[in-house]
Amino acid sequence: MNQENAQERRLTEDGVREDLQRQPHLFVKLAENALAVAESLRNNYFKNTTHFVTALRKAMQAASQGKRSDPPLTVCKIDGADWATFQGEVVTFIDGGVGRVQISSQAPILLRVGSYCVRTGERRLAERERFGYYPVILGDLEGGNKERKDFPDIVRITAELLGGLSALERTPDLRVLMFHGPLVYLMGGYAGHTPFSERDIDLFLHQYQPVAELGRQLKEDFLHEAQLDIYPRMVPESADEWVKRRVFEPLSWIAYLYRRLIREAHQRKPVPIIAGVVERGELREFSEKVLLERVFRGLRVKGNADYFNQMYGRSDLTSPKALLDRLGYTDTLLLSMLLQPGEFSEPWEIGKYDGLSQGNVSLPGEARTGIVDFAPLKPGKIGFPRICGCYVHVSETTEPVRVEVFSELGPEQIVEAARRTYLYARLLPGYGFPVGLDIADKYAHVPAWLTDAYSKLIQYHLGVSLQRGEISDAEMRRVLVQAIYMTHRDWLFRPKT
Amino acid sequence: MATTPDQQKSKRYVGTLVGQSTSQEFRLAVAHETIREQDIIAVDAELRRPEDNTAPEKIRVWAKVQRIERLNPLFPAEAGHELAATHTDPFETVLSLSREMVTAVCQVLGAEPLAGSAKGKLDHVRYPPQPASSAYRPDSKDIARVVLGELQQKEKRGLDIATLSNRPEVDVKVDGHAIVTRHLAILAMTGAGKSWAARRIIEQLAAKNYPIVIFDPHGDYTGLANVPSLKERVRRYYAQFPVFEQAPETVVAVVEGLGWNLANTHRSMFDDFFQGANAFISGAPEELKKRTNWLSNYLGNEKIAYYGLKPNLFFLADFVQAVVQAGGREDGDALNQIVEWSGREQLRIKRQVAGWLEGLPNNLRVAAKRLRQMEEISKRVAQASEPLPLDRTQLVRYGGISVVALAGYTGDFQATIYSLVADEIFTARVSDNLRLPVLFLLEEAHNFAPARAEMAAEQRSITTTRQIAQEGRKFGVGLILISQRPSRLDETTLSQCNSYIIMRMVNPADQNYVRRVIETLGEDEARILPDLDVGEAILSGQLINFPVLVRMKPPESKGEREERDAFESLEEIQASLTNAARR
Ligand SMILES: Nc1ncnc2c1ncn2[C@@H]1O[C@H](COP(=O)(O)OP(=O)(O)OP(=O)(O)O)[C@@H](O)[C@H]1O
Ligand SMILES: [Mg+2]
Repeated sequence: MNQENAQERRLTEDGVREDLQRQPHLFVKLAENALAVAESLRNNYFKNTTHFVTALRKAMQAASQGKRSDPPLTVCKIDGADWATFQGEVVTFIDGGVGRVQISSQAPILLRVGSYCVRTGERRLAERERFGYYPVILGDLEGGNKERKDFPDIVRITAELLGGLSALERTPDLRVLMFHGPLVYLMGGYAGHTPFSERDIDLFLHQYQPVAELGRQLKEDFLHEAQLDIYPRMVPESADEWVKRRVFEPLSWIAYLYRRLIREAHQRKPVPIIAGVVERGELREFSEKVLLERVFRGLRVKGNADYFNQMYGRSDLTSPKALLDRLGYTDTLLLSMLLQPGEFSEPWEIGKYDGLSQGNVSLPGEARTGIVDFAPLKPGKIGFPRICGCYVHVSETTEPVRVEVFSELGPEQIVEAARRTYLYARLLPGYGFPVGLDIADKYAHVPAWLTDAYSKLIQYHLGVSLQRGEISDAEMRRVLVQAIYMTHRDWLFRPKT
Repeated sequence: MATTPDQQKSKRYVGTLVGQSTSQEFRLAVAHETIREQDIIAVDAELRRPEDNTAPEKIRVWAKVQRIERLNPLFPAEAGHELAATHTDPFETVLSLSREMVTAVCQVLGAEPLAGSAKGKLDHVRYPPQPASSAYRPDSKDIARVVLGELQQKEKRGLDIATLSNRPEVDVKVDGHAIVTRHLAILAMTGAGKSWAARRIIEQLAAKNYPIVIFDPHGDYTGLANVPSLKERVRRYYAQFPVFEQAPETVVAVVEGLGWNLANTHRSMFDDFFQGANAFISGAPEELKKRTNWLSNYLGNEKIAYYGLKPNLFFLADFVQAVVQAGGREDGDALNQIVEWSGREQLRIKRQVAGWLEGLPNNLRVAAKRLRQMEEISKRVAQASEPLPLDRTQLVRYGGISVVALAGYTGDFQATIYSLVADEIFTARVSDNLRLPVLFLLEEAHNFAPARAEMAAEQRSITTTRQIAQEGRKFGVGLILISQRPSRLDETTLSQCNSYIIMRMVNPADQNYVRRVIETLGEDEARILPDLDVGEAILSGQLINFPVLVRMKPPESKGEREERDAFESLEEIQASLTNAARR
């Protein structure tokens, strides 16, 4: 079949059906959905989805040919994504993982952040690549609510961000800084943790700042801002006490680190591309706020507002949210069907901060809680940055990945990030995810102890670090040794008598 | 500038223990190119005794690098395929190429007190060495000591045959006692250096006066006599095929093999001819002379009287011819004479029978000629004028090496000669008629102890070899088996060997066989066999403290077959021919 015929066939229901069947991940997801939706929707789920997608494809096609002015979705081709274009670029990939060491408890004790920095086209191995590996022992921290399930996450977010910041500061010619996962998480859910103590922050910084002075400066700058602007707005009653005790409220500290990262990037020329790449995203915000919003509006314009209800024989499919709720569509599901490999969707601003409101917080070592207002951390002077995202479709056999960038760093960010995401991910067509993040992940990921190849690498690396005396903290050494050499017969660690 | 012991140790640092360690094995994280397979390394450790409160004992754990694993765990195979498909240079991408991990898997050999062990024996390690300890390359003299092991107390037994492959300055001595009493097998593909290794061992054993009998099918050992120190000790014998020491069926088989098949009448009479001829030739010297002259006269063949009778196929042919002639002419006198001297009434044959038998003498002569040809080759290759003595125990002499040249003979003749000689010597040892112990060396041992016997001669030699392999130790008869096709060797025999020298081997069937039969050979050692150099060997079994990779020292002697450049020797011959013509 030639190119033109293929494009035409995409616009027929048979063509859509073939596409779906060719993509196992999609087909499975649809089948799962079909079982999960209400019985009345089940019977024609696949057929109706095909029908809907065909209509969307046709509308997009008509718009791209100038035959209509209100496309439900604009897609862009990834242009000029080849290695020749990106030679001599310094790229750092950051990925954190939670370590679950098999000792008595199931709770994670160790958190690792890995960084992988590479200069494309560099042939001297010693110059080409740099790996960083930063373990944090969760038990060492005084702040954070350890009983909360998201405690390791908040530590990981902090650690990854510090990893990124230090990568940027250490690398004057850094062109791309890419994180595994959302560039910013949905922060509302993480509110309410006990602030970190200064000692906690020192533990973090110890790993990241080769120059102690920079770390100290970072701390002081935050505390200064906290005193002037942050704490008075978050905890008007106790701001003085918080400042006096030099505590670091996690969310405001994280927001500060983001601002710091953006400020540092702004000073560079060209501005480095900073992105987060999300696989297997469950988000449906793009579908709800952009895609279906436009679909519903278009239907209203045409006086066809009941389109979905008629199609499914129902009466409650009256809004984008209702439709998504009932039919179980997500962004990746819909966009898998609408984007072709090598395309990315129009960018939109992702709402990350809806959940930021009031919460109860206690200080380290205290049971007493007080009210804290997190709303001031919404984008603004002391808040989190605005995030802009898009979906990139890498290959037919994989779901689109979501790319997130800072809106403040300019409109080119999303395009440049999409190009590189696509190019880096093309090296893993069966996974459809940037290979550099995979490398950082493998480097940092918690190994299946003593069995797989990656654990050997970690053991090797730590073995060498221990040997060289790079890890001097006695307790850290003990735990690491324990982690590395853990076996069922843990004879090594019997208390010395 | 003087270096402290610690500095020296750090210079010799080879890696750090990582992962799980056991008392048999541990893993080392090593830098690239710092270590090779089969290297001998050490790790210092402390051994705390649980039961008492004494200070922990400092020990040194010895280990051998069994294999080295290189891995780039950060390079996904899928990316490799994609690079290939798109003709992309990995250096242009963001792929990681630098993180190669080199891990050495080490087998623990044993431990000794750090202060140095007096006895040279390594203790079993019953407690794994501590993770994160450093491994280092020990001193040459320490390695030499450990390789030697208990042998250092028994200096006299040591044979100086090799150096460590990865540490050429370290001499490797092996236990000669184990070799001469408990059999040694030298196994390798052709050209790997088996005969050189064997000659080195023979030279070393000869220095200790051990009696040796070599069965040499190719003349590999002719050069031994040219070594000044061995000159007086080496005797080379060419082998004759002793026709009348065989069973009649064997001789029938030989004749059929070298001439053509016997007709039924020939075959049915053969026994009588053979026994009769044997009796005919067994008379006392005076008597024999009389019979010789009679035969010479009767057949009208002066050569018989001139050369005298020899117990070979030529004589058998003449004897048969005389019978056929007498029968054909119905010559009663002659027949009486023959029956008297042969003690065989059956030889009084009728004229008709004589007619049927007419072709037999000629057939025997053809076989006899071929046999003589083989004998000639044997003589030439052996550079020997001496035939094998009738009393085979004479081959066994204190400080003596007897080379039985078998070159020229086909396999079954070699096997027959070997089993006659070996059997007789072994029997003499068993009955104590021979007092000296002896070591047999069998080149091309797969001919003397093949896995599958096709001919009666082979069957007999397997029986002989197996018996020596199984019982030789009791009676002071040792074996050195050399073979380039180990998988064709009789398994029972091979598994009776307690020492092995294994050299380059590329045939997978041979590798598997060797791996299966030889218990002391580890999987990792077997794996490196195809990569060995000529002259490199793995020593394994009772001759050595633990398996090591060595380079055999060259022998002093030269073999007959040492390769010469074919074109150079052609030019030399041509030059000598032109010279001769000019003169
Ligand atoms: N230890 C050694 N050091 C150096 N060279 C050696 C050594 N051993 C053997 N060689 C070389 O290899 C050649 C072949 O050796 P040798 O005749 O011992 O091999 P082989 O295994 O007995 O072969 P074949 O199976 O043909 O009898 C020798 O001529 C010599 O050049
Ligand atoms: Mg040879």
